Amino acid sequence: MASLWKDFVRGLWEENPTFRILIGLCPTLAVTTSAINGMSMGLATAFVLICSSALISLLKRLISDKVRIPAYIIVIATFVTIVDLFMNAYLPELHQVLGLFIPLIVVNCIVLGRAEAFASKNTVIASVFDGLGMGLGFTWALTLLGSIREILGAGSVFGYRLLPEGATTFGIMSLPPGGFITLGILIAVMNMIANRQKAS
Amino acid sequence: MVIVLSVIAMISAGILAQVYSITSVIIEENQARALESSVFQVLPGTTKVNIIRRSADELGVDDPKEMREQEQTTSLIYEGVDDADRVIGYAFVGEGNGYGGSVRVLVGVEEASDEILNVKVLEHTETPGLGSKIEDESFRKQFVGKKVEDPLKLGQDIDSISGATVSSRAVTEAVRQGFDDATAIYRGGK
Repeated sequence: MASLWKDFVRGLWEENPTFRILIGLCPTLAVTTSAINGMSMGLATAFVLICSSALISLLKRLISDKVRIPAYIIVIATFVTIVDLFMNAYLPELHQVLGLFIPLIVVNCIVLGRAEAFASKNTVIASVFDGLGMGLGFTWALTLLGSIREILGAGSVFGYRLLPEGATTFGIMSLPPGGFITLGILIAVMNMIANRQKAS
Repeated sequence: MVIVLSVIAMISAGILAQVYSITSVIIEENQARALESSVFQVLPGTTKVNIIRRSADELGVDDPKEMREQEQTTSLIYEGVDDADRVIGYAFVGEGNGYGGSVRVLVGVEEASDEILNVKVLEHTETPGLGSKIEDESFRKQFVGKKVEDPLKLGQDIDSISGATVSSRAVTEAVRQGFDDATAIYRGGK
């Protein structure tokens, strides 16, 4: 139990994909123009991550070393396509916004990275907890990034107006440079917190 | 190992075919419903939407590319009808090139006055917070009351959103193009 808990929390902070390991940054920068986009992208990735980690861990004895990468990619692509189709069917508005970035989860290095580094070497249950932790770690990072950019760029968060209509907002925060600026500052803050933790 | 890979690929294909057959029906329904509800928005008072379809022959275009474009964007006109079966107006789709891709708008024109009742942005990939302001009421209301004879040109009778000139022009061009095509195809009956 204790080790499962460890597998779970590792992704949330210590090895947080976005802030600590800095992988999967392409969707991170591209979709976090608003809080809801960031959160949905994070949850979609988390779902794919949990399912593919579980399945790959289950199949690890069957898949020989030489074909493991194509095999993993097929498994991941299958789950991504399922998410894409279901989101298009049941959440059409969200699908329209995230559009292109859902199929791109296939090449998100977090998913393949966890399959290679964890799921292929550990039990199914441990892999599920690892996927859950990493997925939620990615989700909270993207939600935070999206919230900050939405507040500064559009004056609202999750679609609720915080600043009155017509208040000065920084349009650049909604644009790609805003993503880089916000991510840079957040990584600096996270490093500072991590260093304090280490020191104490 | 070839066999393992093939089996994995086959299973994956089977699952996806299943998922696709379930979801594709819902996706199509959603799209049809979304467009229909958009017609209700641009033609207030409408309770029923009739789709008027024009064949390629009737369109009178020979160039295949042109025909395809016409087919996709304007060969469909939506007729909005109220409870008493009175025609309220017609809605059609127009397309323009924006900053992040094409912008599609639905334009509703009143039957009685030939004036635009409302314009709705159906699809765009403009920058959130800047170009996405083309969806705002304050910008769209500039088109209300315009007729096909009006210039419908950015800077003349339509003011652009500051910081989003390209997106504003895309909407204006889309309305213009939709209007022109619709009148060209439906000369007389609009």
